[in-house]
Amino acid sequence: MITFERVTKRYPGGTVAVDALDLEVPAGKTMVLVGPSGCGKTTSLRMINRMVEPTSGRIMLDGRDIRQAKPAVLRRGIGYVIQQSGLFPHRTIEDNIATVPLLAGWTKAKARARAHDLMELVGLEPGLARRYPHQLSGGQQQRVGVARALAADPPVLLMDEPFSAVDPIVRASLQDELIKLQAELHKTVVLVTHDIEEAIKVGDLVAIFHPGGRLAQVDSPERLLGAPVDSYVENFLGFDRGIRRLSFLPAAGLTLDDDAVIEVGMPVADALRACKQSGAPWLLVIDSQRLPLGWVSPADLEMLPAGARVGGEALTPYGHTFSVSTDSLRAALDATVLSRTGRAVGIDADGRVAGVTSYDSLRAAIHAADEAAAEAGQGGPARDGPARGGPARDGPARGGPAGQGAPG
Amino acid sequence: MSWAWENRAMLAGYTGQHLYLALTPVLIGLVISLPLGIACARWKWFYPPALTASSVLYAIPALALFIFLIPYTGLVGPTQSLTLIIPLALYSLATVLPNVVDGLRAVPEPVRQAATAMGFGPLRRLIRVELPLAVPVVIAGLRVATVASISLVSVGALIGIGGLGYLFIDGEQRDFFTTEITVGLLLIVLIALAADAVLVGVRRLLTPWLRGREVGTP
Repeated sequence: MITFERVTKRYPGGTVAVDALDLEVPAGKTMVLVGPSGCGKTTSLRMINRMVEPTSGRIMLDGRDIRQAKPAVLRRGIGYVIQQSGLFPHRTIEDNIATVPLLAGWTKAKARARAHDLMELVGLEPGLARRYPHQLSGGQQQRVGVARALAADPPVLLMDEPFSAVDPIVRASLQDELIKLQAELHKTVVLVTHDIEEAIKVGDLVAIFHPGGRLAQVDSPERLLGAPVDSYVENFLGFDRGIRRLSFLPAAGLTLDDDAVIEVGMPVADALRACKQSGAPWLLVIDSQRLPLGWVSPADLEMLPAGARVGGEALTPYGHTFSVSTDSLRAALDATVLSRTGRAVGIDADGRVAGVTSYDSLRAAIHAADEAAAEAGQGGPARDGPARGGPARDGPARGGPAGQGAPG
Repeated sequence: MSWAWENRAMLAGYTGQHLYLALTPVLIGLVISLPLGIACARWKWFYPPALTASSVLYAIPALALFIFLIPYTGLVGPTQSLTLIIPLALYSLATVLPNVVDGLRAVPEPVRQAATAMGFGPLRRLIRVELPLAVPVVIAGLRVATVASISLVSVGALIGIGGLGYLFIDGEQRDFFTTEITVGLLLIVLIALAADAVLVGVRRLLTPWLRGREVGTP
């Protein structure tokens, strides 16, 4: 655990970079420091490994004042990942990764073996071990940076804008991988970014800074999105926080409609009766394995001759589906918005139809989640609800912008 | 060319002397400019006066320096070669020093910070990270200093300590014996090229990470 106690950094010119910061980073969690430039987030990060010394206040690492250790020794126990990777251009990938173990006095063979393990852990081809940094892509270099920071298995990992120098697609995959890695390693991670989306995505806790080094709010991402303390935080979070918050609510909370699901081969008359009963404007046709085939409307059915059966052809495509067990409400909403029928198909773990959504069912699920949150009250961040660690958190990658026009 | 063959022993002697007189100053210049350059890179205020001082030295004509030194080091005797070596060492220093500073300054800031953050102390960081990365720029300076030094040694012939430069004086005094002058010239150019090639080789050896992305100088 890392604790900032009234930590202030004032530069000789009088500029206050960090103003009386009180902050607690729980062990094994990812704390993201986010804010506009000049808000003191990087300074705060660098005070943890004494790259910057505070003017007043103190920082405790697992109950010990960090000033008790020599800087160089302290730093060998704290992994550090920097923007632009900061790899040593004159050392091979394996030697870069083995840097801290070698400084700590490991044998060369042991340090190299460790480097190779780490390359595997962060998804680097073993063939890259003897290459030099400039021979790797930006994304690969950043992976090496992460491997190097983890090499001596430090309990704490500091990351200073680690993904800001790579393109958005690589960035997203590096973020996913950090989440996956963290689920496995449970390091105490402090990550600095100016990108609130990144903060929400990778953070267990997010600390939003005001310019001038004052803390605006520290909370779990879903609580930030659900209950920003002031208009500064609200503006910083962006206009569609209401929609983004749904990423943290599981789709399992939805009540799916099964009455509007019919099996192929059903007599048209029965299907029309089902329609009238459920009042559904569309029926989902499935096959005998409960796999979805497409949508049919009562108007379509009425055009068929009496005594005919519902066929599998000429249906309206069922569009995007969402997984009831792993996706979020955001994915369900997105699939519903994108659907031509205004309804989306929820599938279970085997890909079989679990039921269909409607806007009513989504509204009910969001309402229920809000009630539950209100009941949990101010009892601090409750973060273990929705499935974490998979790329499913923001729903499967889709083409269209989800939920635009919805009020924030 | 038969003249050169007949006098091969003499030519070899002068070539050896020439190399000694040219390369010793470069080595001295390097040994002084490394700590000086490190100091200049670390304490920024120190660089402008150091650079100005070395440039002023560079502006003093070699002959003037020889004459200034003769009372102390002499034209004959055990310290005679110092009369030549000291000025040339100062020239080398003036050439190499800016490159040491530039080379150290060219170490990317993220690399420096990463090294610090990983627990390198200042000295270890200098030796293991900064100096190795400065090697290409330092050697570029050494190449210029070496070639200049090899060429300048011949001026020493005017005071009787000049390696292959002797051949120019001797050739002139022997009614412009052009063969001797030409042979001297060729040998100087040849050893300059050879010394330069050796330095390029050393740089390649010390900078395996640059292979495949070498830019500029061969």
